[in-house]
Amino acid sequence: MVLDCCLHMKGTNTGTELLICVGLLRDEPKLRAMECVVQGIIETQHVEALEILLQGLCGVPKERLRIHELCLKSGPNLGAVASEVRLLCDLEQPEPTWTVRHVGGAMRGAGAEQISVLVRTVVESKASKNVLRFFYTLGYKLDHELLRVGFAFHFQRGAQITVTVTSVNKMLKLHATEEAVPVTPGIQLVEVTAPASSDNYTEVVAAISSFCEYLAPLLHLSKPNVSAGVVPTAAAAAASLMSNGGGKTL
Amino acid sequence: MPLKWLLHWQPNAGTTVNSQILSEVSQCVESINGAKEGRWKSTLTFYRPVLRDQTLQAEYPRDCLGISLQEQPNKYYFILRSQRIVLEADSTIQMIMEKLQSYKSRVSLYFEGFQYQLGDFQLRVGKVVPTHSENLRGIVMEVEYLPISSLDKSRQIMEDFVDIWQETVSKRSLPGHFMHIEPNFAEYGLSDHYTSQHTAVQYAIVMAQLIASVRN
Repeated sequence: MVLDCCLHMKGTNTGTELLICVGLLRDEPKLRAMECVVQGIIETQHVEALEILLQGLCGVPKERLRIHELCLKSGPNLGAVASEVRLLCDLEQPEPTWTVRHVGGAMRGAGAEQISVLVRTVVESKASKNVLRFFYTLGYKLDHELLRVGFAFHFQRGAQITVTVTSVNKMLKLHATEEAVPVTPGIQLVEVTAPASSDNYTEVVAAISSFCEYLAPLLHLSKPNVSAGVVPTAAAAAASLMSNGGGKTL
Repeated sequence: MPLKWLLHWQPNAGTTVNSQILSEVSQCVESINGAKEGRWKSTLTFYRPVLRDQTLQAEYPRDCLGISLQEQPNKYYFILRSQRIVLEADSTIQMIMEKLQSYKSRVSLYFEGFQYQLGDFQLRVGKVVPTHSENLRGIVMEVEYLPISSLDKSRQIMEDFVDIWQETVSKRSLPGHFMHIEPNFAEYGLSDHYTSQHTAVQYAIVMAQLIASVRN
């Protein structure tokens, strides 16, 4: 089943309306599980300042993150087309919990090119701890694995937004999460995501875009795979945050 | 959660299951004062791998079953019987499997009927039918003992109940009898404490028995 979407810009007397048309090629639930996401990078030395800024903006305590992410791909003979699924093991819980995550296609079309937030289908399911063995038995192979360590803020601001700040680490030995090393030392990944549906993703896109403006002094956020690099003035912004103790407008 | 035994109707050699037997069995429950409560339905689906080279079929599980249970509307269970794997997941796992397109759902069967309360027992009598047909493929019965979650601690009382049940049914001289097969739950990584994963495994075992009966 393929999600076929396009964005249209329509001029009106009062401005410009953004219309999102979703083409359903086969039977699909009306409210499709989607996700809006932007990413950016920040130097590790500025993460503390970012945390202070986020704490002030979100008003909720941070949640520690330690996620072992296993990316599985179908073996060469399995499926008419290759498929990929991710297993996320939350190591921060007293008993590790597992989630299966399938990321689908992003919205396409001229309109989608014009918005700065990626909108894509995503489906998640909690699963019992034998889920890796289950997928191996089905014929999936481990393509790569990562350990993401950091923190997250979850809050409501026009949408249910999650900001995660993590260092991405690779394992030198199979599944050896205790011996992981950073993929990009000195740089951490920031993701801003929010769940959406085919009914409401214009609002969610707007909410994320609006929130990202608050983070602009410290980092550029853009669609994944469209890297904008670090912010040149981040150091000054970070210094300001650290000296003010956070919670104040930059 | 309370434990349950899943029984299935084993027709006598040379006979097949039919709706008259189902009707008689339901009457048996009512004859021992089972109070009819409402309907129940669970669904079992066969999944088959989509392969580019069919000659390599043996490398992939051919017995992948997906099960949704009445008592767990937000969960879905996959059983790979030959590998003794039972996976419990959210019901959204079905959507993920559809998107992966590596395994396709083929035949689905409903296990459906009425449930009855009988003291500390809850009984469910059900027919097994394909989702788009009324062809009766089998009859099952869930016997749930509400006070206990331990398989070992409940064994005696369950055996006693099933003995009484078998005797009640036998008086109707039907061409067959109920059978109970207890899976080796430990092989599936399951403990003495009963869960819906145990139920899913029992359904997989019963399904295999029903298929074997049809073949014979």
